Amino acid sequence: MIGLISYLVFFSTVAAILSIAVLGLNLQWGNSGLFNGGVVAFFGAGAYGTLILGGTSQAGHLGGYELFYPLALLGGMAAAGLMAWIVGLLTIRLRHDYLAISTFGVAVAFENLMRNAEGLAGGAQGLRGFERPLHAWLGDGFIYNACFLVFVLVLLIATYKFLEVLIRSPFGRLLRAIREDETAARSLGKDSARIRLTSLIIGSVIIGLSGGLYATFYAFISPQDVLPILTFQIWAMLIVGGAGNNRGAVAGAFLIWAAWTASGWGLSRFAPLEMQLYTGSIQFILIGLVIVGMLLWRPQGLFPEKLVVSQSGRPKSEINRE
Amino acid sequence: MKKQAKHAALALGLVTGLATYGSAAMAQDCTTKVGAVLPTSVDWGKPIAATAQYVVDLVNEAGGVGGCKIEMVLRDSQVDPKVGVDAAKALVDLDGVQVLLGAVSSGVSMPILTSVTVPAGVMQMSCCSSSTAFTGLAKEGKAKGLWFRTFATSGVQAAVGAMVTRDQGYKSVAIMYKNDDWGQDIGKLIASDFEALGIKVTASVALNDGQASYRAEVTEALKGQPEALYMALYPKEGTAAVREWLSLGGSQNMIVANSLKSDEFRDNVGLQYLGKAIGTDTASPRSNSASAFVDQYTAHFGKAPSGPGLANSYDATMIALLAMEAAGKGADGAKIASMVSKVTDSAGTPITADAAGFKKAKEVLAGGGSVYYQGATGNVRFDANGDVSAPAVTWGFSDAGAKELSFISLTDVDAFIASLK
Amino acid sequence: MIQHLVDGILVGSILSLGAIGLTMAMHMLRFANFSHAELLSIGAYCALVFDGVFKAIYAPLAAAIGPLSLTWALALAIVISMGITGGSAILIDRLVFRRVRAKGGELSMVFASFGVAMIIRNVLGLMFGLQVQLYSKDIVFAVVLSQDPFLLVKPDQIFSLVAALIIMFVFHLVLSRTTFGYSLRAVAENPELAQVSGISLIRMITLIWIIGGGLAAAAGVFYGLTNQVNPVLGRDLLLPIFAATIVGGIGSIYGAALGGFLVGIASNLALLILPSGYSPAMPFLIIIVVLILRPTGLFGEERH
Repeated sequence: MIGLISYLVFFSTVAAILSIAVLGLNLQWGNSGLFNGGVVAFFGAGAYGTLILGGTSQAGHLGGYELFYPLALLGGMAAAGLMAWIVGLLTIRLRHDYLAISTFGVAVAFENLMRNAEGLAGGAQGLRGFERPLHAWLGDGFIYNACFLVFVLVLLIATYKFLEVLIRSPFGRLLRAIREDETAARSLGKDSARIRLTSLIIGSVIIGLSGGLYATFYAFISPQDVLPILTFQIWAMLIVGGAGNNRGAVAGAFLIWAAWTASGWGLSRFAPLEMQLYTGSIQFILIGLVIVGMLLWRPQGLFPEKLVVSQSGRPKSEINRE
Repeated sequence: MKKQAKHAALALGLVTGLATYGSAAMAQDCTTKVGAVLPTSVDWGKPIAATAQYVVDLVNEAGGVGGCKIEMVLRDSQVDPKVGVDAAKALVDLDGVQVLLGAVSSGVSMPILTSVTVPAGVMQMSCCSSSTAFTGLAKEGKAKGLWFRTFATSGVQAAVGAMVTRDQGYKSVAIMYKNDDWGQDIGKLIASDFEALGIKVTASVALNDGQASYRAEVTEALKGQPEALYMALYPKEGTAAVREWLSLGGSQNMIVANSLKSDEFRDNVGLQYLGKAIGTDTASPRSNSASAFVDQYTAHFGKAPSGPGLANSYDATMIALLAMEAAGKGADGAKIASMVSKVTDSAGTPITADAAGFKKAKEVLAGGGSVYYQGATGNVRFDANGDVSAPAVTWGFSDAGAKELSFISLTDVDAFIASLK
Repeated sequence: MIQHLVDGILVGSILSLGAIGLTMAMHMLRFANFSHAELLSIGAYCALVFDGVFKAIYAPLAAAIGPLSLTWALALAIVISMGITGGSAILIDRLVFRRVRAKGGELSMVFASFGVAMIIRNVLGLMFGLQVQLYSKDIVFAVVLSQDPFLLVKPDQIFSLVAALIIMFVFHLVLSRTTFGYSLRAVAENPELAQVSGISLIRMITLIWIIGGGLAAAAGVFYGLTNQVNPVLGRDLLLPIFAATIVGGIGSIYGAALGGFLVGIASNLALLILPSGYSPAMPFLIIIVVLILRPTGLFGEERH
C-alpha cells in the first residue's frame, strides 16, 4: 500500500510537470493557432537554465552558480522565453509553416548544441551536481517526493489560473480573434504579429517552467531528455485532451502519461521476451493512431473548447448558471 | 462513437483479464523479484535483456536464491529517461524489488540512480553505462555504495586501443567516435593516449546518431592521410562510415572498440576488408569457465555472444544474484550491495559462471566463506566507486564471429596506463 | 574545399528531389507536411523488396551495371517504387489529410502529419526490422576525378546526381510544355481562379501527391544506394528537406530544386569551420540565415 502511494505520488509529479508544458502549448496552439514543433527546445532551455544557474560547481563546464532556487527556476524560464522571442521575431510575420519548421529546427539544434558544447552544459554526459532545494531538511525519500508534488501542484494551479484569467482578458479575446480571422482582426487595427509573438513567448516561458521542474525533480538533465519524442508526447496530450480547453489539457496530460506508462507495464508483463523488441514500435504506432484518429473523429478532443463570453450583455448570474 | 466505446470496453476487458491472469501467476509459493530496466525495444538492447533473463533461468535451475525462485520483472526503457525512471519507480514501489538491473544508456541510468534507487536504498547494477559522471557521483558519496557497473570504464578500452596502435607501428591515426557520452569520453581519452605515445592524431571526428550522410565526416577524417583509423562507433553508423571510408580509399588498418564486435557490422562491410582490423575488449579470464560461458551461450541462443554488452549483462545479473544469495533472504538493497565484495573476493573460492558455479557458491556462502566469481568479462572486481577493472583482449573478425588475438593481463594494462601518465 | 563542394552537390541532389514534392504539397494544401520525408523511406524499402523479387525471378538481373553497385533489378525496382510510393501518398491523403482538410482544420493537418510520420516510421521498423539494410554489400571504390585539386567521387553518386538531374529536367519539360504543367502552375498561383477556369482541384491534388511521392521514392533509393536503408532515414532527412524548401521559398518548384543543392553544399562546407558534431544543426542555421536575409526564400512570394 505504501508502495502504491509512493508510486502514485511519483507518477503524479511527472504528470503534473508535463501538464504545465501542455498548458503552455495550449496557449500557443489552442488559443493562438501557433504551431510549435519544438516544444522540447523550450522545455530543455528551462531545464538546462535551472540546473546551470542553481547547481553546484562542476569541473569543465559553465554553471555552479548555486543561485537561490526560485531565481534559478526563473532564469530557466527566461532562457526559454528568450529563445521563443528570437524564433518568433524571425517567423511570426510569415505564413504559419515557417514557425512550424523553425521551431522544429530549434529543437534539433538545441539538442545538438547541448550534446556537443561540453563547456556549456557538460555535453552528452549531461548536467548533474544539482542539490534539490530543501533537500537537507526533507531528506530524499517519500516525504520529499510528497512535498515536491504539492509544490508542483501549486505551480500547476497557479499556471492554470493565470491562463484562465489571461484568455478571458481583452488580450485573450484578441488571440482568438486573430486565430479565427487574422485579416478581420488586422482591419480593426490590431497588431496581430505582436500579439501572436507575445503569446508564443508566454507559452514558451510556461513550457520552460515545466522543464525547470522536471530537471529539479531528477536533479539531472542530459541531451537524452530533450529528444523530439517529448514534443510528440506533449502534443498528443493536448490533442487528446482538447485544444483550447485548459482543463482538457491537464486531463490529457495525465491520461496520455498514464496510458504510456501503463501500456509499458502491460506489454512488458504479458508480452513474451521475443515480442518485446516490437513493443516500442507498437506503442508509437498506437499513439500515432490515437492522434490521427482524434483529429479525424473528434478534433475538438475529449474536453472541447468552451467558447468564453467574457463580456456579455446579460447579467452575470445568468452566465454563471450556464 | 458507439463503435469506439465498444472497442474501449473490449480493450478494458482484455486488460483486466490479463491482470487477473498476472496475479494468479504470481501466487506461487516463494519467489523473489528482481527488476530490470533495459531498452528492449531497441535492436541491440533486446539481446542484453535476453541474456539477463537467461542468467535468471540458470540460477533458478540451481535452486534459486535463498530457496526462492527468482522472477525478473523486465521493463522497457525505450531509451527515454522519463519512461525508464517511471518504470524503475514502479518496480521499486509496486513490485518491491531490492535489486535493479539497468539501464544501458547513462542518460537513463543516472536519473534512475539519483531519483529512484538511491532514495529508496535499492541496489542498482548496470551492464553498460559508461559515463564518467557515475564515478564523480560515487566519489561525492551520493551513490551511497548502491551503484555498480560491469562495463569497464572507457580508460582501459582507450589505453588498450592506443597500445595496439603503437604495437602495429602506426604513426598517424584518425579518430571517429560516436557523439554520445561514451564516444565523447573514449575519443578524448584515446587522443591523449596517442599523444603520450607520440602518435599523430590527424583528425578527431564526431559522428552523430541518425545523420543523413557521413560523407563529409569521412572526407574530414581522410584529410591528413592517416595510416590507420580508430573507431569508437556502434554497428549502425560504423557500417555507413567504414563503407564510405573504404570506398574513398581509406586505409584498411583499423582499430575498433568492442561496440563493433558485431556480425551485422562484419557482414555489411565485408570480411575481405576487415582482415587488418583489430578490436579491443575487456577480457574473459584464462580459465575453463570462460569458454564454458561461450559454449553454453552458443548452445542456448544458437549463436555466439558477439553483440555489445552481452557478457557484461551476464556478469551484472550473476553478481547481483550472488550478492542476494550472500545477503540472505529478505535483505534490503544496502545489505545486498555490501555483499558484492564478498562474491567478488579474490581471496575467496573461485566459482564458475554457470548453474553449477552458482550451486557451489551457495554452499560456500552458507558455510560463511566468500567466493571469487570468474565471470564472462573477467575476474570482475569493483572499486569503491562501483567501477570495474578487468584484463583486456584484442580480437579480429573471422567467419565465426570474433577471434581472440592476444590477452593483456590486468597488471600489464595497469602498468601501461601508468606509463602514459 | 573543392571536395566538400562536390560532396555537397551530390548529397544536394537527393534533397532537391525530396524538396520539390514537399514544396508543391505545402503550397497547394497550405500545411507543413512532417510526413513527407517518410515517403523517402517508403520508396527505399519498396525498391529493396522489388530488387529482391526481380533478382529471384530472373537471375541475370542481379548483375551490376558498369562500374556501379546498382543492379538492373534495382533500376527496374526504382521505377516500380516510384509508382507505389506515389500511390501511398494518395492513399495517405485519402485516409487522413483529405478528411482532416474537410473538417476545415488547415492547422490540424500539420499535427496530423506528425502522427502519420510516426505511424509510417514504426510500421516500416516492424516490417523490416530496425537494422541497417543495403542494396548491395559490395563496396564500390571511389574514382579519382582529378589529382589537383584532389577529387574523389563514387560512381553511384555520379549516377544518382545524373539521374536526379534527368528526373528534374523531365519534370521541368512537363511543367513548361504541357497543359498539365500550365494547370499545375495555375493552381499553384491561385487555386480559386484556377478552379473557375475549369481545372479540377481534386485531380490536381492527386497528381501532386503522385509526383511528390515518385520524386521522394527516387530520392530515397538514391540515398539508400549511396548510404544505407534504415527505418529512420526519413526522419534524418526531414530537416534538411524542410530547409531546402525554405531556402527556395515555399511554393517554388525551381527554388526547391536549387535549395536542395544549396543546403547540401552549405552543410558540407560548414564542416570546414564547425566541428562535425554540430552538423545536424546546420540545416537550422541555414533556415535562420535565410529568414534574416530574405524571409520568403530565393523565389518565394510574400503570402500570409
